[in-house]
Amino acid sequence: MIVLENLTKHYGELEAVSDLSLRVNPGEIYALLGPNGAGKTTALRCLATLLRPTSGTASVGGADVRQSPLTVRRRIGFLAASMGLYERLSARELVTYFGRLQGLDEERLRKRVDELAELFGLDDFRGRYCGRLSTGQRQRVALARAIVHDPSALILDEPTLGLDVLSGETIYRFMAEERSRGKAILFSTHQMAEVELLADRVGVLSRGRLVAEDTVDGLVRQTGARNLARAFLSLVEEGGHRPIGRDFGEDLVGSVTDGRE
Amino acid sequence: MKAQRRNGWRDARVVFQKELRETLRDTRTLLIMVVVPVLLYPAILIASEQLALFGQRQLQREPAPVAVVGEVDPDVLEFLSGREDLLLVEVADPEDAVRSDSVSAVALFLYDAGLEESQTVSLIYDAADDWSRRGREVLSSALEEWGDTLLERRLTERGLPIGFARPLEVEDSSVALPEELGGYALGRFLPMLLVVMTLLGCFYPAIDLAAGEKERGTLETLLTAPIPPGQVVAGKFLTVTVVGLVAAALNLGSMLLTFQTGLFQLSQAFTIEFSLPFGSVMIIFATLFPLAILFGALFLGIAVRSHSFKEAQNALTPVYMLFILPALLPLFPGIEFTPALAVAPVAGVSLLFRELMVGGADPVLGSLALFSTLFYASAALVFAAHSFGREEVLFGEGRDAGKVGNGSGFLRGLRHSEPIHDLPGSRATLVFVGVVAVFYFYLAVRLQVGLGEKGLLVSELGLLLLPSLLFLRLGGFNPVKTLSLRRPTGRALLAALLIIAGGMPLAWLLAWLQSFVIEMPLEFLEGMSEFLVAETPARVVWILVLVALTPAVCEEVLFRGVLLAGTRRQFSPLGVILLNGLIFGAFHVPSATVFRFLPSATLGILLAWVVLRTRSIWPGMLMHFLNNGSIVILASSPWILERFSDPNQGPPIWLMVPAVASLVAGGVLLEREGP
Repeated sequence: MIVLENLTKHYGELEAVSDLSLRVNPGEIYALLGPNGAGKTTALRCLATLLRPTSGTASVGGADVRQSPLTVRRRIGFLAASMGLYERLSARELVTYFGRLQGLDEERLRKRVDELAELFGLDDFRGRYCGRLSTGQRQRVALARAIVHDPSALILDEPTLGLDVLSGETIYRFMAEERSRGKAILFSTHQMAEVELLADRVGVLSRGRLVAEDTVDGLVRQTGARNLARAFLSLVEEGGHRPIGRDFGEDLVGSVTDGRE
Repeated sequence: MKAQRRNGWRDARVVFQKELRETLRDTRTLLIMVVVPVLLYPAILIASEQLALFGQRQLQREPAPVAVVGEVDPDVLEFLSGREDLLLVEVADPEDAVRSDSVSAVALFLYDAGLEESQTVSLIYDAADDWSRRGREVLSSALEEWGDTLLERRLTERGLPIGFARPLEVEDSSVALPEELGGYALGRFLPMLLVVMTLLGCFYPAIDLAAGEKERGTLETLLTAPIPPGQVVAGKFLTVTVVGLVAAALNLGSMLLTFQTGLFQLSQAFTIEFSLPFGSVMIIFATLFPLAILFGALFLGIAVRSHSFKEAQNALTPVYMLFILPALLPLFPGIEFTPALAVAPVAGVSLLFRELMVGGADPVLGSLALFSTLFYASAALVFAAHSFGREEVLFGEGRDAGKVGNGSGFLRGLRHSEPIHDLPGSRATLVFVGVVAVFYFYLAVRLQVGLGEKGLLVSELGLLLLPSLLFLRLGGFNPVKTLSLRRPTGRALLAALLIIAGGMPLAWLLAWLQSFVIEMPLEFLEGMSEFLVAETPARVVWILVLVALTPAVCEEVLFRGVLLAGTRRQFSPLGVILLNGLIFGAFHVPSATVFRFLPSATLGILLAWVVLRTRSIWPGMLMHFLNNGSIVILASSPWILERFSDPNQGPPIWLMVPAVASLVAGGVLLEREGP
């Protein structure tokens, strides 16, 4: 279970995350929505023990990020927006490396890498270094890397960033599969469609604060909007964010989403 | 999935193995580490040698066309025409002939010598042309030979022995063995090459493993693995060090092989043998270890503060150049392996290499170089580990988050232009102090030599005080705030008195301890004591004004005024104090010797501490005046002078007890004073 309680993170005088509390249960997918600079990545980095919270707590399965950072790292699979692949390692080498850093013994690791290679089709690009892979292939390697130790919680920062529909579909299936295996999944995104498709609950961040938290339907009802995109816009505007170009006239987000409905 | 039990160094080893594998797949690193030393370097050496030999052979193959003009004895012409290495040609205008390459050189016999006289011959040639230079050489040696023949003929005619005209023959006979000659030649340039190769070997891997990893976003992933940051640093640092060492080792091995297998033919021509005893090679390797650790850790620590490969390259290049300079020392003749140079970073190791190659180093100095390098390497390691532990360094956020622009911590500090209101910004201040330093270093000593006592006054007022006041005026800074012109409390003054009373004996102790490493400048001390002797009360007052009051005002305005105010918002209090002391110490080096650095830096640190805490410059000025004034008074004491002039005698140990007590009491009072 992932728990954030009154988490606050300051960068000097800038308050990037303010008093954030949320909980992701095992077998649940929680989507963190927010405009750029709302504090999503900072919150996820605090949870991944990369940043030290200024105040408040964050824990995974009861292990606190400040007191037991190494335990937290063993329990999470973290996927950064940049994917973070070593360009001169092959997919198998990379996954094996992180398995070793997770402390897996060699025999188990070999079996696990075989499993993941099959699951993500890593052998399709055998003999190529990660630096020469396409974005979709890189994302598959990055996911395999993140779950090599079979963590109980997944923290994914914009996992479908830059992916085509086909690769995005792979990620959705993967997340749904992991949920069915009882994993707690927290992910950040700008894609309303994938939130509607996957998220059991949604948290909306604006200027570092959690301005709303509910199911997709709950948010739409709560704001009286026609769809999630409009609900999101109205929530972040309340939180102080205002889209540039709103005065151009047409409600583009609304019409795009309406067209799909 | 259950993880196995963790072994302390297992993670560092895993990181090391992976980093090494990736590094060895990097073409740029391989090129520098393997290709350059193993192939390219000997290839260039041999190719250039072959070209030189080829050129020489080409020149020697054909006889040099030369001409002889003027009042020439037919015997000379006959002698010269019998030689195979030159060809006599007739010319009308000697200079034109040389210029037009009709002949390589012309011998102009100025007048015919009588039987007993000496004849002058002028050799006309083109010094900017190798072909003509060779012609001159051939002609010159032929004519000298003719001169000898002529002399021999004259002596024989008079019935005198050959030795009559040459009562003394001087011959060279060097006791250096061929391998010692080789050592001498190697010792000149190989240390520099070894240091440069180690530097180069560490340079790119450090950037790639720190800034490169940040730029590619892999560091973020790596740091979410359940291993302590220290193990990550250890693994990376080991990689950089090993690559640096291997580059140096390959270079050394390749050089020795090139010379020893006879590929390098010039060495045979000069009966030089390039070989190193096994023991020396081992010591060189042992010393390369801490050197590679120093470079590796320092480069990593700096590179991780940069955001991109390019930015790290920019940040590391000045450091790289700074290390090359001391590595060049063995190239210069007359540089001795002294204790001071032995403890100097890089210079000590470089000179130790030279000594080992020439035939053996002093074990004490060698150990000094080795251990001081180990010390610097440890400090660099602490720095690297500290850099990796800071989240604002790793993610480029922290206090500047939300602002536009990136930069490594230090460079960002220099680039960061602060709003001009009350206090000057750190960048402007450091540039200003740098400009003052350049003028002060070049002019102060000349003024003091040229104008004597007045020169001292002029340099303090004109080179330190006046520029500081102009800086404040032109920059529009608040003089009261910048110079901390705040009335001190009684407690602040008492703290200042206690600290200087305790600090002075400690500075004396430091100076004495330092005398074991750096030679005490006795001439300077004697000169100072002669200068400070005062015979009349008026003279005492004048010397106090000159040596105590003037520096207390002028130097405090610059160092504890402008410099302190300009840096205190940018750096931590400890950083501000240390920087102030270092710069203050450096300013005192040119006027005396490097010996004054440590005591002056200590005084500077104490003064900066007091002024920073009390937020008032007056206690600083008081301390500075008392310190310098006491020296004037104490210099008149024969007892003190005797102790100062005998390096074996340190300050009395009993004095240290009240000194430390006074310093601690002052410190406690001061810390209560501080904000």
